[in-house]
Amino acid sequence: MDHSVTQLKEGKFGTVRRFTDERMAGKLMTMGVLPGSKVQVVRIAPFNGGYYLKVDGTNMVLREAEADSIVLEVLADS
Amino acid sequence: MNIIALTGNPNSGKSSLFNHLTGLRQKVANFPGVTVDKKFGTLRLPGSGEVRVIDLPGTYSLYPSSQDERVTLDVLTNPASEIYPGAVVYVADVTHLEKHFLLLTQIIDLGFPVILALNMSDLAEKEGIQVDTRQVSAYLGVPVVSVSGRRGDNIAALRQEIDKLLKEKNRVQGASSVFHFYASEEKKVVAEIQASLNIANPYHALLLAHHHSRLSFLNNEEKTQIAAICQAAGFKDLPLQIAETMGRFSTYGPVLKRAIRKDGERNTLTDKLDAIFTHRIFAPLLFFAIMFLVFQAIFAWAIHPMNWIDQGFISAGDFLNRVLPPGWLTNLLTEGILSGLGGVLVFVPQIAILFFLITLLEEVGYMARAVYIFDKVMQQFGLNGRSVVALISGGACAIPAIMSTRTISNWKERIITIMVTPLISCSARIPVYTVLIAFVVPEDTLFGIFNMQGLAFMGLYLLGIMAALVSAYVFKKILKSKERSWLMLELPPYRMPMWTNVWLTIREKVGAFILGAGRVIMVVSIILWGLATYGPPKKMERAEREAIALAQERSLDEMATANLVAARKIEMSYAGHLGKFIEPTIKPLGFDWKIGIALITSFAAREVFVATMATLYSIGSSDDEATIHSQLAEAHRPDTGGLVYTPATSAALLIFYVFAMQCISTMAVVRRETGSWKWVFIQFGYMSALAYLGSLTVFHLLN
Repeated sequence: MDHSVTQLKEGKFGTVRRFTDERMAGKLMTMGVLPGSKVQVVRIAPFNGGYYLKVDGTNMVLREAEADSIVLEVLADS
Repeated sequence: MNIIALTGNPNSGKSSLFNHLTGLRQKVANFPGVTVDKKFGTLRLPGSGEVRVIDLPGTYSLYPSSQDERVTLDVLTNPASEIYPGAVVYVADVTHLEKHFLLLTQIIDLGFPVILALNMSDLAEKEGIQVDTRQVSAYLGVPVVSVSGRRGDNIAALRQEIDKLLKEKNRVQGASSVFHFYASEEKKVVAEIQASLNIANPYHALLLAHHHSRLSFLNNEEKTQIAAICQAAGFKDLPLQIAETMGRFSTYGPVLKRAIRKDGERNTLTDKLDAIFTHRIFAPLLFFAIMFLVFQAIFAWAIHPMNWIDQGFISAGDFLNRVLPPGWLTNLLTEGILSGLGGVLVFVPQIAILFFLITLLEEVGYMARAVYIFDKVMQQFGLNGRSVVALISGGACAIPAIMSTRTISNWKERIITIMVTPLISCSARIPVYTVLIAFVVPEDTLFGIFNMQGLAFMGLYLLGIMAALVSAYVFKKILKSKERSWLMLELPPYRMPMWTNVWLTIREKVGAFILGAGRVIMVVSIILWGLATYGPPKKMERAEREAIALAQERSLDEMATANLVAARKIEMSYAGHLGKFIEPTIKPLGFDWKIGIALITSFAAREVFVATMATLYSIGSSDDEATIHSQLAEAHRPDTGGLVYTPATSAALLIFYVFAMQCISTMAVVRRETGSWKWVFIQFGYMSALAYLGSLTVFHLLN
């Protein structure tokens, strides 16, 4: 099932399938978020801010809009 | 001289390696034609002799996201640059190699002789990560060295490899691209650019195709040429960039996977700490608690060193007064220069501790967390999460704070950050606040525990912060921009600070402050002293005669007469004339002409206020031992006879110093970072207006 990162609850993870925004995709990939990368939603920021993610072992923070552009494949029970 | 560049991703530990290689032989300087300061140092090698090492700001790829990241691209694609390196030492975090290889393969494709330094080998050991360096070296075609910047492991081997590389310089120049397979539009464009601009390396040509509009070293003719070539071939920047990035990863990914062996998942100390430090509710509270502690620590730890320095200057003053003959030179030395210098240097302990704690927060990795915590809030004010770093460092000094905005890619967010950062109370304001608070707030405690003057101090800081946020909001509403804004930040693992890094940073910043402040104070003191002692001869003589006559009329004693004469003479001096000239504008704020002079001299640098006061109030004064405080306390207005430094006037003056732009160095940096004087004027304008209105309001409220 396809979900955007922002649709995941804290603690859940998935594998990157594709991106919905070309510009962001370019930047995200340079930072190591690639199709096939394992992305876990660790927590959400104070003030309802950004997303604290673990991408292939690296800790990274993205704004909601940035995280939203990442489409993940989520296994039924992750 | 041979030049080598140190490059790599952010957080790869480049600076520690740089420090190991160059030791104390390093400097920060500005290179002509490039807008960024670069850190460079020298390395002495047995074979190659003296080698210049340049530390380039970290970037993830040669497709940069911010000005900081742009530097590496600018330097590596401009062979005509003064700092074009002959070789590159690529520093990679061995615990996250896959990501670090993107930029590495790009640089190798550019044809540079490269050494791969696999840094953080100590961490790798701890986490059970093993890399087959021989395989990696064979695949990349470059020498590989495993090092630990933290422990200083294997630096000698790195130096050896650098020496060897520089000797065998005729390596891999302009060769084929191993890591990128050119699409047909790319091939076409590359061939044409290589031909028309005489470029040897195909990847170099490709980068020019992607970035030509923003590379400053290309002239207009070259830019139009390249643009035409791209247009004709149907070269689409973004899709090709994405394809290239993905292509690189899929090319080296499998090979790297085979060369690395990892044991198990890493759920580390960082994760545990971040559960607290980035906690949804506690994180901001914790942040403010930490800031408060930092504030307290600065004042608590600095007390003793400050007393020693104070004593030192007093002794020096006494010594000079005893040893030198009485006269104008001695006066200038003791009352003008020494007093002024002492008044500022006494704050060096506080400034040093402030820089220390802020650098520590950065080194440990906490600043990135602060960016994360406040990004949403910052956006409400037209700022970026990264602006938090500038605002915090602004508490020490606005200059490095403004330079740190290079990591903000959105122009509007960056400009607003630059505009408002100087409103944060910097360390130069500390001497001013200290002197003036004494005249506004009594030395008492609130509820028996809170030191009132301390609270007032904090209040001033908070005022600066609020003014910065409000001003940012106003700018946000006024400036228009459609540009997109990003956060996308990597959080480095928490780490023990590299104490040498910390020490070197403090030494550099505090040293710069002392030298800068010292120079300005000396120059201003001498000029001011001259202006305040001399005046139009006829007027000075008449003032003296009139003063003596008046003194006789009132039957004043010798000391009182001398003081009256001095007071009248200084009013007739050049400084007096200047002060009286501007007095009408500042009278509504409760200021007199001497304060007016102080405002003028402070325009150069805030800390000059103390030196100015020392000079103006001690000239002709017969009391050698008066402190600045006692001199101000006894200052009376000539017309009303009342005190000059009433709570109302002192408060108004304080508020003025909170808001006003009084630092030539800051203005110079803003000019450099924004590329024009326009923003300097805007900043000076709005801050001056804020200062004037603020003082006016406070004076009238308290009067």
